Amino acid sequence: MTKANSPKTKGSQTKSSQGSSAGTMARELSLRAYRTMLEARLLEEKLAALYRSGKIVGGVFLGRGQEALSVALGVHLRRGDIYAPLIRDQAGRLAFGDTILDSLRTYLGSSLGSMRGRDGNIHRGRPSEGYHAMISHLGAMVSTVCGGLVAKRFRGEKGAVGATCIGEGGTSTGSFHEGMNMAAVENLPLVVVVANNQYSYSTPNDRQFACSDLLSKATGYGVAGHRAVGNDLVDCLGVIGEAVAAARRGEGPQLVVADLLRLVGHGEHDDASYIPESMKKLPLGRDCLELARHSLIEREWLSKEEADSWHKAVEKEVEETASKVLREPAPDPSEEDWNAFASPSIGRNL
Amino acid sequence: MSSITYLEAIRLAQQRALKEDPRVFIYGQDIGVFGGAFKATKNLAKEFPGRVLDAPISEDAMVGLAIGAAVEGMRPIVEMQFADFSTCGFNQIVNQAATLHYRTGTPCPIVVRLPSGGTPGSGPFHSQSMEAIYAHYPGLVVMTPATVEDAYTMLLEAIELEDPVIFCEHKFLYYHLKAERLPATVGEALPFGKARIARPGRDATIVAYSAMVHEALAAAEELMQDGYDIEVVDLRTVRPIDTDTILASVARTGRLLVVGEAWPWGGVAAEVIARVATEGFGLLDAPPQRLNAKETPVPYHPALWGTHRPTASSVANSLRQLLEL
Amino acid sequence: MPQLGESIAEATIVRVTFVVGDRVEADKDLLEVETNKAVMGVTAPCGGILRELSATIGESYAVGATLGYLEISEEDAERLGLNDAPPAPVEKPKKKKAAGISGAAEAESIKPSRKAVEPTVSGLPVPAHAGGASFLSPRMKARMAELGLHAADLAGVAGSGAGGRVTIDDLERFLQDLERNTISPASSMRVAVADAMRRSWTRPLATVVLPIQLDILLAHRKLQAVKAGPALYALRALAITLSEMPTVAGRLIGDRVIHPRSIDIGFAVEAEDGVLVPVIRHADQSPLVDLVERYNRLVELARARRLPGSDTGGSIATITNYGVFGLTMATPIPLPEQSILLGMGAGRITPFWDQDKKAFVPVTEAQFTLSFDHRVLDGGAAGRLLQRVSNLLGTPEEL
Repeated sequence: MTKANSPKTKGSQTKSSQGSSAGTMARELSLRAYRTMLEARLLEEKLAALYRSGKIVGGVFLGRGQEALSVALGVHLRRGDIYAPLIRDQAGRLAFGDTILDSLRTYLGSSLGSMRGRDGNIHRGRPSEGYHAMISHLGAMVSTVCGGLVAKRFRGEKGAVGATCIGEGGTSTGSFHEGMNMAAVENLPLVVVVANNQYSYSTPNDRQFACSDLLSKATGYGVAGHRAVGNDLVDCLGVIGEAVAAARRGEGPQLVVADLLRLVGHGEHDDASYIPESMKKLPLGRDCLELARHSLIEREWLSKEEADSWHKAVEKEVEETASKVLREPAPDPSEEDWNAFASPSIGRNL
Repeated sequence: MSSITYLEAIRLAQQRALKEDPRVFIYGQDIGVFGGAFKATKNLAKEFPGRVLDAPISEDAMVGLAIGAAVEGMRPIVEMQFADFSTCGFNQIVNQAATLHYRTGTPCPIVVRLPSGGTPGSGPFHSQSMEAIYAHYPGLVVMTPATVEDAYTMLLEAIELEDPVIFCEHKFLYYHLKAERLPATVGEALPFGKARIARPGRDATIVAYSAMVHEALAAAEELMQDGYDIEVVDLRTVRPIDTDTILASVARTGRLLVVGEAWPWGGVAAEVIARVATEGFGLLDAPPQRLNAKETPVPYHPALWGTHRPTASSVANSLRQLLEL
Repeated sequence: MPQLGESIAEATIVRVTFVVGDRVEADKDLLEVETNKAVMGVTAPCGGILRELSATIGESYAVGATLGYLEISEEDAERLGLNDAPPAPVEKPKKKKAAGISGAAEAESIKPSRKAVEPTVSGLPVPAHAGGASFLSPRMKARMAELGLHAADLAGVAGSGAGGRVTIDDLERFLQDLERNTISPASSMRVAVADAMRRSWTRPLATVVLPIQLDILLAHRKLQAVKAGPALYALRALAITLSEMPTVAGRLIGDRVIHPRSIDIGFAVEAEDGVLVPVIRHADQSPLVDLVERYNRLVELARARRLPGSDTGGSIATITNYGVFGLTMATPIPLPEQSILLGMGAGRITPFWDQDKKAFVPVTEAQFTLSFDHRVLDGGAAGRLLQRVSNLLGTPEEL
């Protein structure tokens, strides 16, 4: 089995130029993606508001500016795939099947949420359904997804891919390195999307890595590489779609690097005043949601009225769900079993 | 038939698991054709093709991979080449494996095998006993078999458990400890989590685990000649600890010495004594004592190493002092 | 056999490259062995002639086993330090020291001498100079609590623990030994008194004595229709005295003197195998004649063990008339919650030097003792109290 030795770079191509059925699929995919981005954005605006009114305890980490990149990965995944989203992947999560309801439940600490108050904010997931609950140590999820793919290989399951997203800062960790190397050695169908959003908390890229192009890591690991324009939905859909397809075809790990700009603080507790205004004015500083809306309207895949009505509908849904969740009970410490073990034979004798 | 070493028992347990459970696979460095640094997987790669895999030197990714595979229903065994290197995978063990079930409700049934403990000349990075560090984290089961039979049955039990298990096998016992036969089934043996009275006694209790059980037994033999009858308790599992058996023993003898090869601070000995002091204060006729390694990294030279950790003699000395109190 | 890898315990001979009689060179392989990890060579430590080889192909030998002998030159022996005098052999203790499985260097065995604690005076159950070691282990305390024992009960037990400490084994042996005696249950009265006296004794107690002449008192008593006992005379005298100097019946708690609230005085009455103490409340406020009936009734109730709770307890001082037993002197122990105890010995006719008559005259005299908590008052105050009681008993019409 030959491995790709040089990074394949893909420019912006849309699939709509390749025929009408492909064109319909592309249109449907783009619309689904856009709607999901809208949900992510409006949900996160609500989360930010809830945080600032003291309703959320702990950190709030938003993906504003990263929705296009994140959703582009999420929409290409399907049941049976394994997905480990990270902190700015609200859009990808919703595309993969997470709900506005569970997102709010986890953030607001409702005992009815999937994490039941035991973990919060972006540490949510349902691992048994292929949706991993990340741990804070960046890079750790790469090898975890690899493990799931190895299991599927043992069972003879074909066609599934594993996917995770990580920031450029996360690529500095040893975990990332070990995970990528292992994915390549095992030749796994893993897609890793690196969101190079220029800042890792307050750390600019020149303090994070010295290589001139992150994509050269693909060469280092012996995997295929792809470049995407991080705030361009159409480009992301095309590039990531191809990367996922390549993985599904058995071509081994695929590394996608996308440039964009983080449009929020590291968390809602951070005002990102270290990001210079000049950077925000660059093309990579443009808001992907606005760009996507504009792009879809221009193609006449979506009318302005439809876009506005979607906006209203999503806003309403977010508002109603938040009100419902705010009335839900918090976990009760006296009801907890305070037991970290799954084996019944271990019980309380610790 | 020739006797079975502690190492062979581990190999046979893995062989049995691979044979009987298609979910099991083993991941570790040099474990494939080479059979492992200590030959714990000798011939298994050949017998079970594709299920005994050589890993790159990436302890973090090895454990991460095991976690991901376990979530998908496999029963992975990770062989760390030395316990000392598990710190490179520490994050995945304590922050993901140990927390997964509590946080998400999805169990993480992995086994991480740690060749532990000192042998002459191994030095600071090939000698460590790490059970206390892992036992500190709720969610991890930590096993420390001291006998050939326990190495066999407890490894099989570890694979069946729904929780991540840190399996601390003692390198010195690998080839120095032998048994005539293995239990035919796990059911024949004491279940994991129960401590074993390795030697019943009356005048004092030694609680020990892993290789130290043998030092304790030798010390007890020595004290016989002074007319003392010493009871030795083998913990077998360090988390969960069988507090009931320990308390029952102290109720009989009134005097406690806990021996561990690891360092004293916050170790297994400290934990046992804390429990006895809290739950069995009225059972003690003398202050409880512990004996551990000296407070330095494990030294390389055998002469230094020989006194760095407890031996039969130093255990006997501690016992004499305990009995005098 | 060298240690050819961590955890290796033995190796198997697979090839021998030299035979006995051959000359071998230093650092060259003499034979090949197989461990479970690899096949490796065992090299000659020095050049020489192979004189003996005890290694058999196919056999396994433990690490450290001797495989053969080389005959080497004198210079080589010198160079390798083989001619140095061996270190002085370590005193091997007679008892077999079992080697642990590690077989590594062993610590010098400490054998602290278990000196028996020698009694200074033979015949005493407890050696006189047993050092410290009042340490009662938690197990001891738990067991003692279970059996209702106090440290006082163990006063006669010699300890075998450090510094003569009494261990749980000592206690159990002691208890077992007791079973060889006839044992009868102690009455609850006995146990109660024992407890009170044990607690009282934790204070520094002292006793002073004053002889008091009773003739005037006895003459007064003869003339009364309703007769008070001598103890009641003394009680009234004490009550008046205490109303004049109340703090001698106070208590010292830390650095504060707690004053008595009211002059309630108790008096000891023997009941079965113990003592009860009924109380006359406000004894300073009623004349003697008014107390007689009350006193007699209390004595009856006490003897019948039917003393109501309101008539006992809360007194600030007690009177005890040990003279009824014929005792002329005693050093009784005040109640644990009280500081003073006035005791009366038996009256005896005794010669008294009359200065005026310049002759010995017979008088009826009794020794009155004041036993007291020496933290609260000293001999002087005790003496003054007794003097005042003596004066008052000399003017019985004022009692």
